[in-house]
Amino acid sequence: MFVHAGLVLLIMVIAFVVAKWAKVTTELSMAIAALAGALYHTKGIPVRHLVEGSFNYFDVCLIFITATFFMNILKESGAVTFMVRSIVSRFFKHRYLCLLLLTIVMLVPGAITGSGAATVFTVGTLVGTVLTCMGISPNRTAAIIFLCAAMSAAAPPINLWAMMAAAGSNMPYVGFTKPLLVLSVVGKLGAAFILGARGKQVDLESALAELPESPVGMNWLKVGLPFIVLFALVVAGRIWPFSMPIVGLPMMFVLASIAAILVSPHKLRIVEIASTTIHSLIPLVGIMVVVGMLIQIMALSGARGLISLGVVTLPLYVLFFALWFILPVSEGLLQYAVAPLLGVPLILLFNMRGMEPVIALSAMATMWPLGDCLPPTAVVGRATVMELKFKGSYTKDFLKTCLVPIALILLMCTLFIVFSNELAFLVG
Amino acid sequence: MNNRSLFIVKIVAFTLMLVAIVWAGIEFYNHRNFTETVVLGDGVSTVKKLSDYYPGLKDSVNDCNIYIFEGKEPGGTLMVIGGSHPEEPAANLTAELLVETAEVEVGRLIVAIRANRSASTVTRPGDAYPLYYTIPTPWGEKQYRMGDRWTNPLDAWPDPEVYVHYPSKQMLAYMDIRNFNRTWPGYANGTLTERTNFAFMELVRAENVDVFIDLHEAELEYPVISTIVAHQKGTNVAAMTSMMLNATEFKIGMEYSPKSLHGLSHREVGDHSQAVSYLLETPEPLLDRVRGITDEHLLLTGKDPFVQKAGEYGLLYEKIDDDGWPIDVRVGRHASTVLELAQSWSDLNPDRSIRVSNVPRYAEVIENGIGFYFANPANVPSQRLAYE
Amino acid sequence: MTFLNTLINASYYVLSAAVSLILIRNIVKTRDAQEAVLYCIILMPFLLRVFHIK
Repeated sequence: MFVHAGLVLLIMVIAFVVAKWAKVTTELSMAIAALAGALYHTKGIPVRHLVEGSFNYFDVCLIFITATFFMNILKESGAVTFMVRSIVSRFFKHRYLCLLLLTIVMLVPGAITGSGAATVFTVGTLVGTVLTCMGISPNRTAAIIFLCAAMSAAAPPINLWAMMAAAGSNMPYVGFTKPLLVLSVVGKLGAAFILGARGKQVDLESALAELPESPVGMNWLKVGLPFIVLFALVVAGRIWPFSMPIVGLPMMFVLASIAAILVSPHKLRIVEIASTTIHSLIPLVGIMVVVGMLIQIMALSGARGLISLGVVTLPLYVLFFALWFILPVSEGLLQYAVAPLLGVPLILLFNMRGMEPVIALSAMATMWPLGDCLPPTAVVGRATVMELKFKGSYTKDFLKTCLVPIALILLMCTLFIVFSNELAFLVG
Repeated sequence: MNNRSLFIVKIVAFTLMLVAIVWAGIEFYNHRNFTETVVLGDGVSTVKKLSDYYPGLKDSVNDCNIYIFEGKEPGGTLMVIGGSHPEEPAANLTAELLVETAEVEVGRLIVAIRANRSASTVTRPGDAYPLYYTIPTPWGEKQYRMGDRWTNPLDAWPDPEVYVHYPSKQMLAYMDIRNFNRTWPGYANGTLTERTNFAFMELVRAENVDVFIDLHEAELEYPVISTIVAHQKGTNVAAMTSMMLNATEFKIGMEYSPKSLHGLSHREVGDHSQAVSYLLETPEPLLDRVRGITDEHLLLTGKDPFVQKAGEYGLLYEKIDDDGWPIDVRVGRHASTVLELAQSWSDLNPDRSIRVSNVPRYAEVIENGIGFYFANPANVPSQRLAYE
Repeated sequence: MTFLNTLINASYYVLSAAVSLILIRNIVKTRDAQEAVLYCIILMPFLLRVFHIK
């Protein structure tokens, strides 16, 4: 069985590499890998398994789609522009406060959707414009935007890596809020202030001229109302759990979106926004659907067990010295697929070794998004340079500037894993 | 790519997608609607419905059969449920074994084979479970639905953002609102799963159940395994049972139900009724994350070299060797433990005595195979058949 | 409460149907063959859920 599972794994890897070499997208390459593994294992096409696997992250996909729709509605209504312009107008004399507030603004989209790309697409350009007006170089501006986006994806409540790994380990996605918040906020502020500390006061005139106009009639109440609806629904479910119907996160985002549409100062083209949302999400929703299929075939053929066994029999110190490298690199290669593939056996190992799995998984789930600037996929990194119309070299300028803060965040996360038991007080 | 080629790609991809969903859809539909035939043994006096105790479940997917055995002499009442987690087949097979073979001399026996029927109509995405498994019998093969740990999302959707347990307000993972063994004692105004637990509690109270046993299986990576988990009201009976089984049949532990862990049958049934509650666990390697090929063979034999390897590294809480954990061993353990619990209860509570006979014990089930005890439905009058 | 839960349950099927329709619309509109194939794959779970099959 060891040889068989190893062969299945090998065939999947070869199929993936060949497909990528033939310029097939990462998502379809994974689907081809799943199909190749299935063909070898079953000597046919296990249609039921492939289709059943596509349901693996169905609810996560729905959360992801509705949350991104919500953020896009806010963007199109002008709420995001209004927020950024207001912050700049009021705090342009206080450089650090301005930087802090912009960092917080950059936390929201990723924290709500679990996607760093969502942060880049909704607020990246706006915040990037202000950072440039603060005298921050283009290299550093791009690096700040990427790192803030990566950390926002790691931030609670929605951390897709943690959710996917927890779901695969039959572990409740409960108790992650504090550790994820600490890691992502420290990481985000650290990156923003390391890279953005030096510069000048915001040039208000040029910043306001560069930023798009916010729509007439927009105000803080209209910006805040959709968030109040969302927050109220979450809180009501906790305070009155037995007298509230079960709304579920996707419908909460839909209701918050409806609130945003109702208070929008101008008419929104909802079908177009929904269509754009789906289009922008296709790589991420696609990868979740395809990874589900891949995982199912791996479970069917024993390949999942082989990886799990390989991971759980590794000495812990090897992992402590290697995870900081393995996790971002594997993210660059496979994106969200790494969470169920590597995360689940790692959680199993941490459990078996008596470590605090929630802290360890939170740390891993903060390390993964950092790999989103690494090739071959580099989804968020590429989105950042595209949105900012970055002129420099991707590797020599952008990536190199990111290295120091990334190394510091990885060190912090590694320490969280090593001292997970000591940090257990953060859970709960 | 020109327009024509693009159009062809789209048509081919869409057609293939339709073929795949129709193909898989037929399999899912057949699995969801597959009925298992149960032959009523001579001991079964009545077959009721769960909705007889709580009409709110009437005509729902979880309105399961309740098999009632009236004893020849009055005494206590024993209730056994299988199928709380339908991915643990030894549980429903043991319950069915009781329905086909048990005869009650003293007291009463109540059995549910598919306690959470909805969860038996779906398999878990990502785990590649087989849809069915077959048990060989002297007259042919008998087929069963493999199921999941959680209620079918088609019967309970959506999940909350966080599941707040009723009535303790303990917070649990969102999907556990569909976990039948996290929703005890149930809630009449709740989800399908919570209402099902509520119905069972109504039954336990209405039928004045003395001993309540919930049958389960566990992965070898899980610390609660090969054990009896007992509510504090029944620790003496559990300790005596464990001692007797260790001395005569097989190794089995005994654990106290944690008072602060809510939603589980061993805690809530005991807390919210007169019954003493127990939960039994046997080892099921199919549930282990490190398992190798996932198929019906593993489900029935419990043989897996990957799980064995994990055992060599000291990562398991139960032993496993080349013999694995065959379904007959697992059912045999449950059967003997149920009988021994009834015996120990009767020894310590003679005024509420329960005496069950004719049920094969551990050694007999292993020797003959579980299928040996299942009669051929074709040779039985229709009024002695039930469907799950 | 049961009525509200039923209503919300139905709204989730409507939501899945809406996502399915948008996916189909995007299949028709896209100029990228690989994207079209991926849309078809993503559509599978949504359609099966809408039809109460899985």
